[in-house]
This record gives sequence, C-alpha cells and structure tokens, in this order.
Amino acid sequence: MSAEDLMDLAQRVVRYAEKLGADEVSCTVSEGSHVTIQRRGGKVEQATEATTRGLSLAVLCDDRYSSNGTSDLRPEALEPFVKRAVESTKFLEPDPARRQADGALCGRGVDAETLDQDDPYWYERTAGDRADYAEALENALTALHTPDVISSAVYSADGRSHTIRVMSNGFSGEDEGAWFAAGGEMTLQEGEKRPESAAYYAQRYFTDLPSIDAIAAEIVKRTRERLGAKPIETGLYPMILPGRSAGRILGAFAGPLSGGALHQGRSCMADMLGKTIGSKHFTIIDDPTIPRGLGSRPWDGDGFRSRVRTIVEAGVLKEYNIGLYHARKMGIEPTSGGRSNWVIPPGPRSVEAIAKDHPKAIEVTGFLGGNSNGATGDFSLGIRGVLWENGEPTQSLSEMNVTGNITTLFEKLVEVANDPWVHSSVRSPTLLFEDVQFSGT
Amino acid sequence: MVQQHSTRDWFGQYGITDEVLRAVLAEATRHGADDADLYFEHSISTAVGLSDRQVNRAHTTIDLGMGVRVVVGDQVGYAYTEDLSLASLKKAAATASEIARHATGRPVIAPVRLQLPDYYPVSRHWEDVDLAERVPLVRDWEARAFDRDSRVHKVEVSLADTDKHVLIARADGTIVADYRPMTRAYLAITALEGDRRETGSYNVAARGDLSYYDADRQSRLVERSVDRALQSLAAGSPPAGEMPVVMAAGSSGILLHEAIGHGMEADFNRKAISIYSDKMNKRIAPDEVTIVDDGTLPGARGSINCDDEASATEKTVLVQNGTLRSYLHDRISARHYGVDPTGSGRRESFRHPVLPRMRATYMEPGPHAPADIIKSVKKGLYCETFANGSVQIGAGDFAFYVRHGYLIEDGKLTKPVKDVNLIGNGPRVLESIEMVGNDLEIDEGGWTCGKDGQGVPVSQGMPTIKVANLSVGGGRQ
Repeated sequence: MSAEDLMDLAQRVVRYAEKLGADEVSCTVSEGSHVTIQRRGGKVEQATEATTRGLSLAVLCDDRYSSNGTSDLRPEALEPFVKRAVESTKFLEPDPARRQADGALCGRGVDAETLDQDDPYWYERTAGDRADYAEALENALTALHTPDVISSAVYSADGRSHTIRVMSNGFSGEDEGAWFAAGGEMTLQEGEKRPESAAYYAQRYFTDLPSIDAIAAEIVKRTRERLGAKPIETGLYPMILPGRSAGRILGAFAGPLSGGALHQGRSCMADMLGKTIGSKHFTIIDDPTIPRGLGSRPWDGDGFRSRVRTIVEAGVLKEYNIGLYHARKMGIEPTSGGRSNWVIPPGPRSVEAIAKDHPKAIEVTGFLGGNSNGATGDFSLGIRGVLWENGEPTQSLSEMNVTGNITTLFEKLVEVANDPWVHSSVRSPTLLFEDVQFSGT
Repeated sequence: MVQQHSTRDWFGQYGITDEVLRAVLAEATRHGADDADLYFEHSISTAVGLSDRQVNRAHTTIDLGMGVRVVVGDQVGYAYTEDLSLASLKKAAATASEIARHATGRPVIAPVRLQLPDYYPVSRHWEDVDLAERVPLVRDWEARAFDRDSRVHKVEVSLADTDKHVLIARADGTIVADYRPMTRAYLAITALEGDRRETGSYNVAARGDLSYYDADRQSRLVERSVDRALQSLAAGSPPAGEMPVVMAAGSSGILLHEAIGHGMEADFNRKAISIYSDKMNKRIAPDEVTIVDDGTLPGARGSINCDDEASATEKTVLVQNGTLRSYLHDRISARHYGVDPTGSGRRESFRHPVLPRMRATYMEPGPHAPADIIKSVKKGLYCETFANGSVQIGAGDFAFYVRHGYLIEDGKLTKPVKDVNLIGNGPRVLESIEMVGNDLEIDEGGWTCGKDGQGVPVSQGMPTIKVANLSVGGGRQ
C-alpha cells in the first residue's frame, strides 16, 4: 500500500470506531518487507522473503479500554474487528488514566532528515546483490577456516518498514526506515566438546556495517576464544563488560526504572530519584534523535515528541521511564514510557590500557541464562568469558555465574573505556567494575 | 462436544479450496522440489487483565496468513503473506520456489485429507465464551489472593486464550486441518513486610477450554502465587560455588529441556554442531535415566495432534535406561538420517519455517522416595521453582534460573533461598544424576521454548532427582 493508502486506512478505522461510540481511538497501520539469506557449507541453507502488514487499534469508551491487533486487513474483516474492539470494553471497569495525551504535546520531535533512517541503497539492492553479498561473506569466513572447524554459517538480512499513526487527539504521523544486518557463527571440534560462537551486526545504513572481512574475522576471534574454556575459582574479580554485552546488565537496570514496575510496587529504584546510585563514571543519556540510531524515533509510545533525556548523571538518578498511563496512576508528570537509544559517554583509555591496571579481571563476552529480580535488584547470570592477567587474555571461561544487586553494582564502576558499541540501541563502551562476585569451582 | 475437525473447512471462508491449494503448490514446485508445503493459520487471541483492583483492560489479536516452504535437499526457500488472495498466495509460492531453480521436477498430486487423533478435545471454543464469563474469574482470583495473607500488597491477574485453526497442504497430496486451543492464567503478587518487598507468581496453561479452570486448579493458582511471594520475604541468597543439587518434581524438567532436549533436535546433529552429534546408541546417563519427548499428553500445552508439516506426533524415547536412542526429527532431518519423522517439526506461526522442536519433555520415574533423596545430601541446594533457561548446543553448557528453593543441611530443607542461576555442562550433568525419584509430575505452567527467534508452547516434567554437582551463582561464600 502507498503512504496515502495507509493513512487513509488508519483515518477510516478511527472514524468508524468513533461512529460506533468510542470516545478516543488510536490506530497504527504498518507495512514492511524483509529478506534473509543464510548460507552454510557453500550453499544457501535458507532464504526467506515476505511483505508483511498489520493494524493495531486502542479504543476508550466511557473510560473503558481495549487494545487490539489484526493482520487481516480485508474491508469485510476490519468492520467486525472494530466492532468487537468497541464492544469488548463494555465488560470492563472505567480507567480514566487511559485517556490520550493533550494533542498539543504530541507530534514529531525530530525531523526525518535528522533521523536519516531510510538508506536509499535499500531500494536499489537487487536479489543478485543480496545473494552475492551472502556468498562473499561466506567465502571470507571459509578462507579463515582451520582444520578444527566443524561447521560455519553466515547470515545477511535487510528490511524496511513504514508506519502510520492516527489518534483522536489530532495527532497523526508517519515513520519509515530501512535496516541491514549481517553476521555468522562457527563451531569447532575440541575433544568431546564443540565450542561455538557468533557475531552479528545491525545498522540503518548498509555502509555502516563492518566490512565483510572484519565480520568474518570477528566470528573467528569470538569462536576461537572459546577453546579451552573452564571455570575458575569462585571469588570477587574486576569485571570487564564490553559494550556488546552491556545491554543485558543495563536491561536489568532499566526494568525497575519503568512506570509499570514503580506503580506496581515492584521496583528496587522506588524513592531513588535524585539519589546517588552509582559512581561518578556512571552516566546514561536517552537520546532518540541520533542520526541512523537503531533506537531513534520521532515520538514515543504516547505520541509525545521525542526529546533527549538524562537518566543518570555522574551516578545520580535523574529520571525514570514513566509513560502517561502510569504517571497518571501515580499522580506525577510523565517522562517517556520506554527507552530509545541509551548512550553511555566514552572515557579516555582503551580496554587494553585499563586491563593492564589489574592483575586479574574477567571479561564477560556473553551471557548464558540467568535473570534478575526487579523488586530487589538481585541478579544472577551465567557467563561466557575470558580471564585477563596483567593486561593479557590468558584463559577462556565457562560454567560460571556473575551475581550481584543492580542497586549497588554501578557504585563499583571504576572506568569507562573509549570504544562505544554502535550496533545496538544500547551504545555503551566497555565498562570496568571492581569486586564483582563470580562463582565457578 | 465440539467436533474437533470441523476446522477442516475453516479456511473455505477465505476462499481456500482444494483447487487453490493445488494451484499454489504447483507454483511452489514450478522449478521442482524434494518437498513443499503450505501452512495456513487463523487465530483469535483474547486476554483480560486486572490491576489496581479493577478489571481494566482487554486485548484481542487476530492473525491470518499463509507460509509456503520449498525444500531441495537441506535447502529451504520460505515466504509468507497475510493476504490470502490467490494472486498473493501464488506470488509467495513463486518467491519460495526460487531456492529450487536447479532441482528436478516433481508433480503435484491430488489432495488427500487425513483425520487426526484428538489430544485436546473441548466442549466450547473460546470464541463462544463471552468476556462477561471471564471477568468474574479474574476478579475472584484477585479477592482470594488478598484474603490469603495481609502482607499481600498488589495483585495482577491475566486470563488469556487462543482459538487457532491451521491447514497444512503438502506437495505429496496430504492435507490436514487442526483446531488448537490454548489458555493461560497468571497471577503476580507483590508482598510487603516491613521494609522488605518481594514478588511471586504462578501460572497454569493448557490446550483446553473454560472447564480447565476447575476448583482445584483455581485454588492452586491463587495459593501458590501468594505463597511464593511470602516465601521470598523470608529467603536469602545461597552460597556461591559447586554443590550437590536436588531438583523438585515438576518444573525441574527445565534441566532436561536445556541439558539434553535442545541438543537432541536433529537439525543441530545433522549439521554436526550438537555435543550429542556422535553419541547415538551410546551411554550418556546412568541406568535409571529414561527421557522422553511426548506430543500426545491429553490437553498438555506442548501436545499437538500433528506437527506443523503434517507428520503424526508420538511419544519419542530420547534416552532409554541411560542410552541415547533417538533425535527429534522434522522431515528434512528424517530424510537425512533415513528414519521416520518423529512429529517434531514445529513453528511459531505462518511467518516462520519449520524446525525440529520439543513438545513435552520429561524423565520417567525411578525407584527412590523423594524424602530419601533429600536425606542423602549433607550440604546442598533444593530447587523448587524456575524462571528460564538457556543452552550452548556445541559446548553443552546450560543454565537455568531458580526462583525459589531451600538449602539442604544434614539431609533436611532449612533456609529458603531465591533468585539464583545454576550452570553446568549437559553431558557431565546427565552422567552425574545419582538418584531418580518415584514422583514424576508434569508441570502445569505455561512454558515457551525459544529457538532461532521462534517461540513454541512446550511442557516439561520431572520426578525428584539428585545431581552430584552444579555451579550455583550465589551471593556469598
């Protein structure tokens, strides 16, 4: 469907729901397409291609709320879908906190040119280009094979989505963008074990992906560093947390900052606003305006204009992530209901230089299972890693856990490296923590 | 009783006739193929939610579409569409067929409709259950949760259900249709005691109708969610390091799921990237250990009348008395190994290609009384409830997260513990199972298994077992 068709559909659905008695309506219509090619053993293992579409609809009737979604956009199906959405509210209790935001506060907080999310190359990329790229990536990886390689695979994907949103409060907006991803995995033979690892990258612009040779080299490096993996003695160690891995820990930190957790009394961060929760090295900026950022967006979930927010500044908690609904429930002003790009400003030194300061440190190269408790802040996560001794990697680690509490972990953040990771909405450099509990033998 | 297979003509309302199936399959196989299938899916999911003492939200999702797969050897072309017009279906089929440009031809033969068994009979479809029938249940569970203990501070409840119809048409002429109900109820409790704040939850899930929520199940749902939150109020962190571990009957099946289940999925073995790739017919566990993956348990969340490529499902013995006996096969791996499919080809939806997946994975009961197993441990950990798990297929390392448990000291359960990750190596842990209890229990919780970005509903079960050593991610020495 064209942009005009998507907008027309969303507006018709809003009008129809209002005609059926809805006081407030929000409708989002999206259409997208994607292609994925996976190669293994010198041939295409799987090729997937699809054009996909969907419509979501939130209605408020007499302050009673329902949210609904459908992929069946036939006109004869949409009418009963909207009727059902409106009728389902009559069995519910009023919840006026669900009312929409003041339309004057909604809109685009950053223009499309600044966000720069729509790589023109996506329109030019042909089936042949995609096939050639995947084959070249596999060839680059195969060229690095050693006799102990059992199997390797590469992956290449791209896609584009187009979203229209229309609300009863007068807001309507359009957002679109492309994405590209590439990576691969490798498995080695090591006695009875078959250690494996992978490396994946995503970007808005194709040319922002690492080169094919760099991707292949990183797959090999991450896999070979799994050789000889074993646990070491349980104890307190400095933790080197690369930006690639930081999202897992920052996710455990973000959960208790959400409006839902705070409102439901399930947050270890309640009453911590304005208080020190980390060292002076700990700063987080939520920035939805980063050009080509994977978490960039023109508006948030409530339709509020995007804006740059400081979440943590030099260890002090400055802002929660509270959307309109939970803000009303708590009787406070909303901030924004979710994360966009989380940026931790880089420090001056390289990881190698930082590691030299420590006789022993554990680099966490990946996680294996584990979870966290947002109400208490306790976390316990399985890890894969590398032991560093006096600035040199000396031992691959497996079958170990890292344990702690998210309310105190960032007090142990003693340095931030100069290597921000840009292939994620979590843009963190490598972080170094002191005295972290690891369990092994 | 609703006719289970009234679904066979369900997609007729969308114009999907035998002629359409033949035409789309012909397009999919225009360049030839070893196999091809069409997977049509229509689902209506409904959920009502309660928070702040109000039943204040309802959610409905309708999903409709078709996925087409073309297979040449072990190569797969896949496409899907949400538009069931003939033109759109044929376009998707043509896209998927590109994988087979250099394959040999294969004719599409006349459709043959098959009847399935019925592992999840229902009296009513969820579509026929008014929201007004759901709301009182949710409200009652909340009231009973608050009544159970004065330390209950917040209660959140959700009741969700799905009516799903699927139609699978294969290039060999097979057509099967299945109606797949699902329901899940969930209670989350926040409890306060002094300055201490803890959470607990419990959920039940099945392929069933409204009658699934009988009085006993409703009581369990309320009591266990509250009791878990209260148990956490008194719980601490266990010591860190390696120690003997006793896994309670029921959801401890997560150990099997991670330590061996994924490693037995035949796609990993076909590619030689599973640690179990060269262990067929070899001893991998003590004699007491028999592990199965079963798609036929009545009403179980992981049960399927047929798999998602129209193969009959079954009870597959993975490990018999300690010896590895079978992988979990879809049609691609079955062809590779020259065996019959085990009915394990599953997918999250029409947007996803089929992969070998687990259904209900459990260990058969052994000879020991659970009390004797606990009594045999001088100092260790008793694991009672679990949140999630993960595995590295090649290295065999796996982890699972324990929500609640107890320390074992001198053969007795003592201090409650919580929120701890356990990690180990699958083959080594299986070898180190020292005792198997006589109390097999299939967990009633709503487990979802993730693989390659796809989630499918599964079940798991376990008798009480003792493992000699696991690494416990505790918080103090």
